[in-house]
Amino acid sequence: MQTPLTIPVPVLRLPRGPDGSSRGFAPDGRRALLKPEVPEIQESPVVQESLESQEQRARAILRERYLRSLLAMAGRQVSFTLHEGVHVTAHFGATDLDVANFYVSQLQTPIGVQAEALLRCSDIIAYTFKP
Amino acid sequence: MALRQTPLTCSGHTRPVVDLAFSGITPYGYFLISACKDGKPMLRQGDTGDWIGTFLGHKGAVWGATLNKDATKAATAAADFTAKVWDAVSGDELMTLAHKHIVKTVDFTQDSNYLLTGGQDKLLRIYDLNKPEAEPKEISGHTSGIKKALWCSEDKQILSADDKTVRLWDQATMTEVKSLNFNMSVSSMEYIPEGEILVITYGRSIAFHSAVSLDPIKSFEAPATINSASLHPEKEFLVAGGEDFKLYKYDYNSGEELESYKGHFGPIHCVRFSPDGELYASGSEDGTLRLWQTVVGKTYGLWKCVLPEEDSGELAKPKISFPETTEEELEEIASENSDSIYSSTPEVKA
Repeated sequence: MQTPLTIPVPVLRLPRGPDGSSRGFAPDGRRALLKPEVPEIQESPVVQESLESQEQRARAILRERYLRSLLAMAGRQVSFTLHEGVHVTAHFGATDLDVANFYVSQLQTPIGVQAEALLRCSDIIAYTFKP
Repeated sequence: MALRQTPLTCSGHTRPVVDLAFSGITPYGYFLISACKDGKPMLRQGDTGDWIGTFLGHKGAVWGATLNKDATKAATAAADFTAKVWDAVSGDELMTLAHKHIVKTVDFTQDSNYLLTGGQDKLLRIYDLNKPEAEPKEISGHTSGIKKALWCSEDKQILSADDKTVRLWDQATMTEVKSLNFNMSVSSMEYIPEGEILVITYGRSIAFHSAVSLDPIKSFEAPATINSASLHPEKEFLVAGGEDFKLYKYDYNSGEELESYKGHFGPIHCVRFSPDGELYASGSEDGTLRLWQTVVGKTYGLWKCVLPEEDSGELAKPKISFPETTEEELEEIASENSDSIYSSTPEVKA
């Protein structure tokens, strides 16, 4: 098969393979919070994770979940509750890096449909969507 | 400068990969499970292919594997005459369901309360996962080994394929509603709930039927015997792979062949689109899983597009680059199972 001048799509790295020594399912993996807490009564020389790093880990996991919720929302119909009891619906497009603005299309407002719009995050009280 | 597809090779299995399945989209992303003749099914992160864990316990080739919608449970079907249910978060085995012959296929209901199994004993079995000790409901009727069994129509019906037939069963009455006969061996079956479409492959054909009536919708012929095909969630494309080691991508509406890719070193046994349609995964006789982009050049998962503007005027060259790397070299790198592509020998300061 002759290929004209093309370059392969760049990749950040290759997928990680098995580590060869364990069966995996890392206890501190991203889904660790799903497992029920096992009370550590008997273990003696266990280094207690400092409260600070536990909190940091929880923050990281929650942030990742939030970002994934934004990904899942892309292209879907979302209902926004704005100030003064205003409700609008639109197709969610994206947010900017700081999640300060929501880029939406087909925004249905009480005064008509806006093809493209930016909703300021500070104007949004809540939003909901069905995945 | 056109971009060409860089497949991501997931190594780790030592024998042919015969089945693979994606979970739904969960708050933690989506996941992928692969069934392998080495008896050690693996769980991977769906968008990157990163290995998460290996389910250890089967004593024979694993023929079928599936995940429930939220990827909290996995089920596997094996040549050791058992189907097993696993905790997909911890990797622990939850249940072993004894059968009378090789088990080939497993499928969870949407609510994960029931597991459907099928295999060489020609029986469909429905297990209540909340009552593992109870005897399963059995549906008989197939005259040859069951290759694939799937819940459909909101788990009220069952679709099952043996060598030459595809049958539709009503779950409540456990009776056959309709069946399709084929002259050639049915190699695979996929059920698409949105639109109630059934994708069946046999010989070189990729056929689409209504999952409700089993009436044919359309079919395409591929250049070689096809072992598995998958329809994109938005039904724009389908991908198929088989005995010529190549993956084909077709436009679903026109049937036009859009792309084809070499890369595997053996026949392709299974191919599936991810739940968000951004990539598809293929499993092969060569023991590898490969991830392929649906839209070549899009930034997603591990694929990162570097645009010419970002390179300040230079021709777009991959920053972490394999510009001249052949598939074989990528294979070698992948098989080393290491993160760093460049060996990091520390500089010796004299």
